[in-house]
Amino acid sequence: MKQIFLVLKREYLTRVKKKSFLIATILTPLVLPTIILAIVYFATKEKESRSDLIMVLDESGYFTEAFDVTSFDFKYIDGDLESGKDRFMEEGAFGLLYIPEVDLSDIAVIDFSGFQLYSKTNPSIQAMERMERNIRLKLEDLKLEKSGLDPQVINNLQVRVDLDSFNISESGEAKKSNAGLSFAIGYGTGFLIYIFIFVYGSQIMQSVLDEKTSRIVEVIVSSVRPFQLMMGKVLGVGAVGFTQLLIWFVLIGGLSTVGLSILAGNNEVLMEAASQQVPQEAMELTERQEMAADIQAMIATVPVVKIVLCFLFYFLGAYFLYGALYAAIGSAVDSIQDAQQFMFPIIIPIIAAIMAMFFVLDDPNGGLAVTLSFIPFTSPIIMMARIPFGVPDWQLALSMLLLIAGFVGTIWVAGRVYRIGILMYGVKVNWKTIGKWFTMKV
Amino acid sequence: MCFIDIKHINLTVPSVPKTKITVNILEASNVTKNYAAHKALDDVSIAIPKQSIFGLLGPNGAGKTTLIRIINQIIMADTGEVTINGEKLHPRHISVIGYLPEERGLYKKMKVGEQLMYLAQLKGLSTAEARKRIKYWLDKLGLYDWAGKKVEDLSKGMAQKIQFIATVLHEPNLLILDEPFSGFDPVNANLIKDEIFELREKGATVIFSTHRMESVEQLCDHIALINKSQKILDGSKQEIKHSYKSDKYTVSYKGALAGMSANFDVQGTRELEDGLMESTIQSSNGQSPNDILKELITKIEVHSFVEVIPSINDIFIKIVEGGKS
Repeated sequence: MKQIFLVLKREYLTRVKKKSFLIATILTPLVLPTIILAIVYFATKEKESRSDLIMVLDESGYFTEAFDVTSFDFKYIDGDLESGKDRFMEEGAFGLLYIPEVDLSDIAVIDFSGFQLYSKTNPSIQAMERMERNIRLKLEDLKLEKSGLDPQVINNLQVRVDLDSFNISESGEAKKSNAGLSFAIGYGTGFLIYIFIFVYGSQIMQSVLDEKTSRIVEVIVSSVRPFQLMMGKVLGVGAVGFTQLLIWFVLIGGLSTVGLSILAGNNEVLMEAASQQVPQEAMELTERQEMAADIQAMIATVPVVKIVLCFLFYFLGAYFLYGALYAAIGSAVDSIQDAQQFMFPIIIPIIAAIMAMFFVLDDPNGGLAVTLSFIPFTSPIIMMARIPFGVPDWQLALSMLLLIAGFVGTIWVAGRVYRIGILMYGVKVNWKTIGKWFTMKV
Repeated sequence: MCFIDIKHINLTVPSVPKTKITVNILEASNVTKNYAAHKALDDVSIAIPKQSIFGLLGPNGAGKTTLIRIINQIIMADTGEVTINGEKLHPRHISVIGYLPEERGLYKKMKVGEQLMYLAQLKGLSTAEARKRIKYWLDKLGLYDWAGKKVEDLSKGMAQKIQFIATVLHEPNLLILDEPFSGFDPVNANLIKDEIFELREKGATVIFSTHRMESVEQLCDHIALINKSQKILDGSKQEIKHSYKSDKYTVSYKGALAGMSANFDVQGTRELEDGLMESTIQSSNGQSPNDILKELITKIEVHSFVEVIPSINDIFIKIVEGGKS
């Protein structure tokens, strides 16, 4: 144990003391949201400022001023379809919307077709839907007018319904649930595990490879059992990841608290300011306070402690499971280039999990979700995606047990390959040789 | 083919205290190790006397490193037994051994002092004790100013000295040095040789694995020769050399060696500077040097008369080549 601790300590300290660790740890929680915000900002801004021209050839004459789609300007033209096509090509417009004669004489007809959009590049689905909606609404209005019904009656017939969902616990206590927030948490934690496997897995591999290529490994294994060396390394690099995560939690927690309190208003200061200003601003202020309160209430609906504990468990489980395999690969090869061919089978289940996560978030209790949350290679990512939506206790317990069995298994397999691999230089390694090492006596 | 080295070798090796030579620090009995494709060690037995400098010789791939790894408990023998001080190999013996592997290196990005501290702690030294000894050794080898530098900033020779320090920091009773001088410049090689002698004087036993025979002549008092996974020869260096003597003498003289009796053959004559001649003489019926000398004196003016002692290199080549044919 003491030996493992010494190895762990060295791995941990050499990494944490590096400037690059400090920079990455502090900047990531600041830079990443900034980048996301910047992308969103520029995308929306660009969309707003850009306006492609769509020519409308309206043979029916009903649709003047009917269109309202962001990022498009509409220009009405006359003539037939062929000349319209020529004109839109000539003038370099984005598209030509052709609306044929519409026959509204029969009130029973509800299917309308023959509307055509010609364009050089494909319009976005969103834009298509908006245009369809514009046409539909206009036609509905026209039909309503023709029917002679009182529009007020129609308006009164339309109702709005708000469905609140609640999670009910064993004790019968009902809590308001929030699908959106669950989605965000599930996605965020799953994705974080995914990133950490890659980043820290490859760090383990690099570390093993460095010891092998610098030829220090034989000195070390004359003092430490290879398994102890491997475990010390996996634990040490894991502790670095854990430290980083902890700092991020604190930083993000701190930042969001500050953010929320700014949103809620530094009451005294803002209230004072508000009292001297126009009532409208005071109203805005209370709205903001409400919004902050809403956010806090929303967070209160989520089982925070459970999610944090589960996250720590699955985070570590995933890390051990894959970290050991990365260590085995690092021990088997002589250079990072040679490692590529062995990386593939490890990466596949991780990628599969992250891809399946989107379907799981859509249907958190479906067959796919449940199955993948039992398989140790995918369970960390998939189970984290499910937990915010609520998972039966037995499933959680089984998944955790299987993950423990899974990482004990991979550590055992990796240890057997590792003890031989680290002493092999210049051997042409393929899956067969790795299999041979696995079964070899020491 | 005949490799005869007529250079007389002055042994500067301090003699081994006679009282301790009877006890073996390490004994390996009938050790066999198989790998999938080949046999790395085949029924090898060796005994290493305490405070000896034991040369483990053999061509590349003979099985030396395998045997050393077994002693270091990096790998395990398939059959056979290794004992240290009469006890079967046990993890606690790791702190008794200092191992300098042939393929060796250091953490390039780590500082010299930190690195030595880490390696010393892995061998079980306390921080305080390790610090004291690191200072002592860095001072001794003139590297104290480099303690705070990263290994990648060191010259190759310096790095090798650091590796040597790492091997001896925990004051092992058994030092295992695998090709310790490969890559050393002559000055540093001599420095390390002196350190090896000093450690032996303080009570350490040294296993010295190499295929370079010149250092064996200088350093070792016992040797074992391993070839093709088998031990083919072992014993004290002097005994082995004497057992490979073939009653040959080199004589330098004035005059002509002609009309000799059948007591010996003249096997080769060449002219030296100063008009002297030199011949190699093979005694044919077990005549003593005195008998031969008596007869020679009657014919020629003898300037020197030296018995040809085969070098370890000769013996090595003779045996290894002999094994091939």
